[in-house]
Amino acid sequence: MTRRKFIHRLLKAGPLILLGAASLAKRAVPRKFVRALKLQKYPGPLRPPHDILEQSKWSG
Amino acid sequence: MIEAGQSGECRVRVNIDGVLRTVVYGYPCSINVDPIEKKPLSHFLPGTGILSIATVGCNLHCKNCQNWEISQANPEEMPAIFYSREKLFWSPEDLVKLTKQAGCPSLAYTYTDPVVYYEYTYDTAKLAHERAIRNVLVTAAYINEEPWKRLLEYIDAANIDLKGITDKFYREVCSGTLKPVLNALVLAKAAGVLVEVTNLLIPTLNDKPEQIGELCRWIKANLGGETPLHFSRFFPRHKMLNLPPTSLKTLDVARDIATREGLNYVYIGNIASKEGQNTYCPDCKDLLIERSGYTIVANRLKDGTCPKCGKEIYGVWK
Repeated sequence: MTRRKFIHRLLKAGPLILLGAASLAKRAVPRKFVRALKLQKYPGPLRPPHDILEQSKWSG
Repeated sequence: MIEAGQSGECRVRVNIDGVLRTVVYGYPCSINVDPIEKKPLSHFLPGTGILSIATVGCNLHCKNCQNWEISQANPEEMPAIFYSREKLFWSPEDLVKLTKQAGCPSLAYTYTDPVVYYEYTYDTAKLAHERAIRNVLVTAAYINEEPWKRLLEYIDAANIDLKGITDKFYREVCSGTLKPVLNALVLAKAAGVLVEVTNLLIPTLNDKPEQIGELCRWIKANLGGETPLHFSRFFPRHKMLNLPPTSLKTLDVARDIATREGLNYVYIGNIASKEGQNTYCPDCKDLLIERSGYTIVANRLKDGTCPKCGKEIYGVWK
């Protein structure tokens, strides 16, 4: 390949390279806010409601 | 970065097929009506009950955690409370209705850390706010700025844990860092949230007078001298069983230091203390709110002011 052909091809591919680099850069920057979606089913065991008027045993 | 199939530090946010999911939305592990003094909040609707909820999980791993059974649990192991056999989950609507039914003027997101059940907290707080119910956070505030600011729009009061005043303490005891917590404290105050601070004094780790003094100076300079500060008594728990409970003397010394550094409202918690639980007027020193444990014995405030000298007392009183 001649130098002229190589430069020509490089110029043609330029926008694609830029697009790819921009997409990578966008992915690399962590998003400031990501809202998690809810899972419908709780993965652990479930228990019936208790007397809510009773003070909690937990701190806080 | 949470890899596919893995959960984050908090154990409750999971990457399922490339989508971040919260597995605890709608599934609290604790729902109780507590006295607001238990949060602790001393300057927010004293003498009222507060519906208090939590799910499992926490993004810190404090070696001394008092609620480690739920904060450090995997959701697979810790039972959640179901709403009814027909409808298992508690929607934000259900929680707001329950708060009203229980006759509580406010709802607390507490016990573990509301920042890990963020979406549930946010949606419920937004709805509660629309229905004229006040929202309270009890949190270590280990959270990024953007989600914190969004949540604060619906929060009326917060008790924020400032566990120590050095990054070393946060790294070694809590597996976290100090800077985000300080930033969150400043942002909460700037957002108009009633902020009270809790500092758990752990023997040999953060109870030296100079450390206490530094913490108080930071609060005075960044949050203001009117910010209530609660020194809380440590008890050996979880992975920190080698240290004794904090002595009453250490708590009294801490209270003296804080007062000397210019903090107007300093309290002692997790221990019976006559003076350390009462509210006094910072100007004329008159007794304003007398407490015994979580009970209000007398509230002499007059429209949020000292009845003797007329000083306006920082707080939300009705």
